[in-house]
Amino acid sequence: MKKLIAGAILLGASTVTFAQPGCGVGAMIFKGQSGVGPHVLAATTNGTFGNQTFGMTTGTLGCNTNQAVQSMAMYMDSNVDKIARDMSRGEGENLDTLAVLLNIEAGDRDTFRTLLQDNFAAIFPSSETTSGEAVEAIVSLMEQDQALAKYVAA
Amino acid sequence: MRAPLRFALALTGLATAMPVLATSDFPLEAIAQETGWLNLGHYHPDSLGSGFTSQADDPDFFLSPDGKHQPYAELAATVEAIQQPGGGDSHARCRFPARDRWLRERLELPDTPVQCPDYQDWSETLNTDAITLVFAASYLNSPSSMFGHTFLRLDPPSDDQSTDLLLANTISYAADAAAHDSELLFAYKGIFGGYPGITTVQPYYEKIRLYSDIEHRDLWEYRLNLSPEEVDTLVAHAWEIRGRNFDYYFFDENCAYRLLALIDIARPGTDLVGEVSTHAIPSDTVRWIVDKDLVASIHYRPSAATAVSYSLKQLSDDQRTLAAAIAYGYVQVDGPELAQLEPEQRAPVLDATYDYLRYQSEADAWPREFAAPLSHQLLVARSQIEPSGTPPVPPEPDVRDDQGHNTFRLSLSGGRWDDRNFGQLTLRPAYHDLLDPPEGYRPGAELEFLRLDLRYYTDHDEVQVEHITGVEIRSLSPRNQFFSPLSWQVGFGGRRTDTESARVLTPYLEGGAGGSWSLGSSLQAFAMATADLEIDDDLRHGYDAAPGADLGLMHQSPGFSVLTGIKSKAWIVGSQHRQDQAYLNGSLHFGRSLSLFADFTREHHYDRYRNLWHVGLHAYF
Repeated sequence: MKKLIAGAILLGASTVTFAQPGCGVGAMIFKGQSGVGPHVLAATTNGTFGNQTFGMTTGTLGCNTNQAVQSMAMYMDSNVDKIARDMSRGEGENLDTLAVLLNIEAGDRDTFRTLLQDNFAAIFPSSETTSGEAVEAIVSLMEQDQALAKYVAA
Repeated sequence: MRAPLRFALALTGLATAMPVLATSDFPLEAIAQETGWLNLGHYHPDSLGSGFTSQADDPDFFLSPDGKHQPYAELAATVEAIQQPGGGDSHARCRFPARDRWLRERLELPDTPVQCPDYQDWSETLNTDAITLVFAASYLNSPSSMFGHTFLRLDPPSDDQSTDLLLANTISYAADAAAHDSELLFAYKGIFGGYPGITTVQPYYEKIRLYSDIEHRDLWEYRLNLSPEEVDTLVAHAWEIRGRNFDYYFFDENCAYRLLALIDIARPGTDLVGEVSTHAIPSDTVRWIVDKDLVASIHYRPSAATAVSYSLKQLSDDQRTLAAAIAYGYVQVDGPELAQLEPEQRAPVLDATYDYLRYQSEADAWPREFAAPLSHQLLVARSQIEPSGTPPVPPEPDVRDDQGHNTFRLSLSGGRWDDRNFGQLTLRPAYHDLLDPPEGYRPGAELEFLRLDLRYYTDHDEVQVEHITGVEIRSLSPRNQFFSPLSWQVGFGGRRTDTESARVLTPYLEGGAGGSWSLGSSLQAFAMATADLEIDDDLRHGYDAAPGADLGLMHQSPGFSVLTGIKSKAWIVGSQHRQDQAYLNGSLHFGRSLSLFADFTREHHYDRYRNLWHVGLHAYF
C-alpha cells in the first residue's frame, strides 16, 4: 500500500503533506538520498525502494508549502542520479517529468531546462549534495527567475 | 396488524430475500456458467469432475462461503449484495465494481448511482485512458530473467500537457517472496507453490528503475486498443483483486497469466487464458496479444546497459580509449586530453563515460569513494556544454522478442553412431539454444527445459532414451575493454554414458565457467573450465567426476549458426582416463520456423576413436 500511496501523492499531490518541524523545502525531506553519485542506485537494489520512510501523514501543514514542490522533492529523492544526468545535459525525460510535477507550462520549459543546466554546479556543489539540498537550490533559483518564480510561489 | 400493512411487509421481506427472481429470462444458474462470470471469479473447470474452482486463494475475494468452488453460490450472493440499499466503501458494489457492472448489464438491473469514496479516489488518481502491456525482455547472464516479465501500465490521457508516462501507474502480479529466502528455496516454492501472488500498483518510473537500470532489461511497450468501457472494466477488476492472494506458480499461474485474465475480463471473448497449456512464457503471452489484434502501437525503451553499450559504440576508437582512461582514473576530467576536444566531441565522451561509470557502480559495485566524486566532475564538465540536438538513442531492434522463433521445438533426424544407424525424435517444450534462429533472442544465451531425445537403432530394432535434459543454461557474453562478464553454463538431466562395455543412461550434473571474446560482428570465441558428475550403479564406484575444458567458436546469424570446438574431460574416480571430443555443429535457418541441422563429433574414449554423424530438421511451434 505504501507504494500506491507514493504514486498517488505524486499524481494527486492534494491533501498529503509531510509532518516535519519547521517550514521550507529542506524540512520536507525526512531522509534525503545524498549525492549524485551512482551509489543512489545501489542503495535501492535491495528492493526497499518505495518503502522509504518519508514521514508522511495526512492533514494540514503548519506553513503554506507549495504542493507541486513537494511532489518534485519526492521524485527527486528517488531519481536524483538520473535527474542530475539530464540536468547536466540540459535535456531528458526525467527533466521533463520534473517540469510536469512543477506544472511548468510548455512555453517556459526551455527556460527551466537552461536555468538548471547553467546552474548545475550551484545545485549540486559536491558529490555529497543531498536531494533535499538540491531541491532547495532549484527552488531558490526559480524564485529569482522572472518567468519561473510563479511555479514555486508558496 | 392490519392486513394491507402485513402484506406490504411481506412484500418487502420477499424483495430483500429474493432480489432477482430466477425467471426464464434470467436463469441465474445458467448465467453463473457464462464466460463473463467465470472470468470475473477466476473460475476454471476442475480437471476431475464437472465442478469449478477459483484460482483466487483468498476468502475476502468471495461473498459466499462456498464461492471458491461454486460459481452459482457466488453469483447469487453477489446479486443479493449489490441490491442492498446504501453505499460506502464496504458495500459490495464498492468492493466489486466490475462484477456490479457486469451483473447490472446482464440482468438488466437499474444502474442506480452509488457512493464509493475509496474506489472513486483510486480510479481518479489512476486517471486511465489507455492500457499498455509492458514486456521486460530477458537479459543475458541472468537466468531468472530469461523468461521475461510483463506488467500493465495505466496511461493517462495524452491531450494534456501534464501527461507524463514516467508518472503513470502500473499493475503487476508477482510472487510475494520473503527477502531472506535463498535462490533455491525461491525456485522450489515458485515451481511447487507456496508463495502468495499479490497484485500491486506502482509508478512506472519505479519499474524502469528496477528493470531497466538495475536488471539491464530492455522494455517493450505494447499499447492495447481497448475501448474506454473496456479500460474502465479492467481498472474496476484490478480494484477487486488488488491485495487479494492468488497463489503464484512460475510456469503457469505467473505474472503474465494473471494479466491475461485481466485482459479477458476487459474484452470478453478474447480467451487469452485459454492459450495457456502447461506454461505461460511472457514472450509467448505477448505473441498471443499481438495475434489477437489487441495491439495499437509498440514502443521500445532500451535499458541502461543497452544505452551504455550503444553510446560507447558511437565513439571513435580514440574517444573510446579516452573514456575508458577517465573511467578508470588514469586521465583527469579537467586534464588536457578532454580540453583539446571540440565541445561537440567532448559532450558524447563525457556522456558515455558517466553512463558507463553509473553502470559499473551498479553492476560491479565500484566503490563510492571513487565513483561519486568522478561522476560529479563529469556532470559539472558536461553542464558547461550547450546542448546541440538530441543525443543518439539506441535504435529499435529489427526483430522483437515476440517475433523470434516459437519456443516449442520438434526435431526429426537420422544419424550414425560408430557403426550403428539411428533415427531420432527430439521434443523440447522450451526455449532456445545457441543453434536456433537467433533473432529476437539474446546472442550467446541458451535456456532449455525438459528436452527429450529418443533414438531408434535400426540394427536391433531398439528404441532408447538418448538424453533427457532437466535444465540446460549457457551464457556466453563477450568481454571487452569496458565489460568483463563471466561466461558460464549449468545443466542436469540423464544421458548415455560409455562404461567401456555399454552405453547406459546416467543421471548427470555439469557446470562450467570461463570467458568469451568477440572476433567480429557475429563470431565469438570461448574458453570454459568445466566439471561433470555422473551417478549410476553401472559406474565402478557408483559415481564419477571429471574436470575438463571446452574451447570453441560460435557464429550466430539469421541465415545460419555454427558451434565448433574441442572438449576434454579427465574422469578421475573410476578407471582414470581421458575423454576427448572435437565437434562441429551447424544449423541452416529457413525463416524462423524451420532449421536444417547437422552435427559431427569425433571422440576418443577408452582407446578408440568413434564418430557421430547426425542430420535433421528442427520445426518450431
